[in-house]
Amino acid sequence: MSDAIPTIAEAARLIAAKQLSPVELTRACLARVHALDAELHAFVHLTEERALAEARAAERAIMAGRPSGPLHGIPIGLKDIVDTKGIPTTCGSKFLQDNIPDTDAACAEKLAAAGTVLMGKLTTHEFADGGPSFDLPAPPARNPWNTEHFTAGSSSGTGAGVAAGLILGGIGTDTGGSIRGPAALCGIAGIKPTYGLVSRAGVAPAAYSLDHIGPMAWTAEDCALMLQALAGHDPRDPASAQHPLPDYTALLGRGIKGLKIGVIHHFHEVDHRVSEGTQRGIDTALATFRDLGAELREVQLSPLQDWAACGSLISITERAAAYEEWSRTRLGDFSERMRSRLMLGALVSGVDYVQAVRRRRELRAELQAAMRGLDVVLTATQPAEAAKIDAVPKWDLFDRPNFTMPFNVAGYPAISVCAGFGAGGLPVAIQLVGKPFQEPTLFRVADAFEKATPFRGQRPALVATVATA
Amino acid sequence: MQSEINDAALDYLLARAGLDLTDEQKAELKTVHAALAALAERVRKPRGRMAEPAHAYAFAEEDL
Repeated sequence: MSDAIPTIAEAARLIAAKQLSPVELTRACLARVHALDAELHAFVHLTEERALAEARAAERAIMAGRPSGPLHGIPIGLKDIVDTKGIPTTCGSKFLQDNIPDTDAACAEKLAAAGTVLMGKLTTHEFADGGPSFDLPAPPARNPWNTEHFTAGSSSGTGAGVAAGLILGGIGTDTGGSIRGPAALCGIAGIKPTYGLVSRAGVAPAAYSLDHIGPMAWTAEDCALMLQALAGHDPRDPASAQHPLPDYTALLGRGIKGLKIGVIHHFHEVDHRVSEGTQRGIDTALATFRDLGAELREVQLSPLQDWAACGSLISITERAAAYEEWSRTRLGDFSERMRSRLMLGALVSGVDYVQAVRRRRELRAELQAAMRGLDVVLTATQPAEAAKIDAVPKWDLFDRPNFTMPFNVAGYPAISVCAGFGAGGLPVAIQLVGKPFQEPTLFRVADAFEKATPFRGQRPALVATVATA
Repeated sequence: MQSEINDAALDYLLARAGLDLTDEQKAELKTVHAALAALAERVRKPRGRMAEPAHAYAFAEEDL
């Protein structure tokens, strides 16, 4: 095979046509891991032997005429807060260095059933919060576009791993933007699905009512293929939705002529003004959507600060409750950044929490009303290009309301896709938000954008230094 | 939530939460207390006593 990194969709077509072997594909990913991961730190635990065994099994099944779908033989990784039977699951923490679960998380189970090849466990901020940290057992992941820069988090290893082609797709989790943030800064696609669509069973909690599990991959189409395998009701997750599952790729390629796209200009132009490069990415997207025949409309919501306040209070309190026992007995064993977040829980009263949850109902109603007559809405994903990894503010939750939290508060599906390159050649992104369970429309719009723009044709320069053929 | 917090109040809250902090950690927490208080103020609106929280919800037809 060539050194070019295929998307999941391309690899699936080649594998189905018996023009690409899952073993060759896995070996190519492993070659990139061996060449690059000492610098990127995307993996905390590489399962090389298992990956090769699974790739060989996939190859045998496919050659015997028993393919199990488009993910069969595709190398993937799992964020290290996802339980994996017999494989260490550390949650990036000193607390769980020796933890080897005896069952798989629901999402791990589903991807395995779809025939994926598990390459290993991917770097995360400690318990999916608070990084980048330099006082944990494993170092933070580095951005493949410039390794002096941050990936965003907390699904940092998944973002870095996909962008550098160490894996073709991976699992992230998102409590306030932890899928979409790394997707944006690493120049890939990542979707936080509708709350309850993908089971949280077996995944360490960050904040129960804001936590979402979702796929990250090079393209929106690849995310759709992964979501097909991941979605579905699971009685082990009390928030799991019972909703008919559509074909998530059904609307791809249909164009977006006549679709109505709302733009929340005030989020990224007033409430939290984005960088020049990010604004240029948004402007490019709006022009592209207009050219493709979509209708753009202005959307007005409560200030971003209101959404951030609501989400932050809920997140702080639910996290403090989840980790209360260890906070009381072993606070010093948390990383400094996670410890600081946990300490905040002592200052939030029960009444503060309930007021935040009452505000949540109002904000959801507001978004529901604003989206009437629209197909999707658009804003930024991140305020700017990736910061230097040693210059990430510790308390940015107070200083800079984030663009992703509103849709955790509302539970609405949201995807980040690459919208070009800004300062220093670092990626910038847009965020598209759909109505609950309308992921097919979200994929339709995101895919149309990716196919109308050249940004999916460019990988980080360091990838070109690796020969895999 | 008051925007300022004195040492006695902070010690009470930390004791109630069961957290044993160093003096340095307490000092840091005091520096962000006002910002946290501002978040708590932001979610308070004149909504009356009947406004329900969103503890549990189901997506309805009008969401779709």
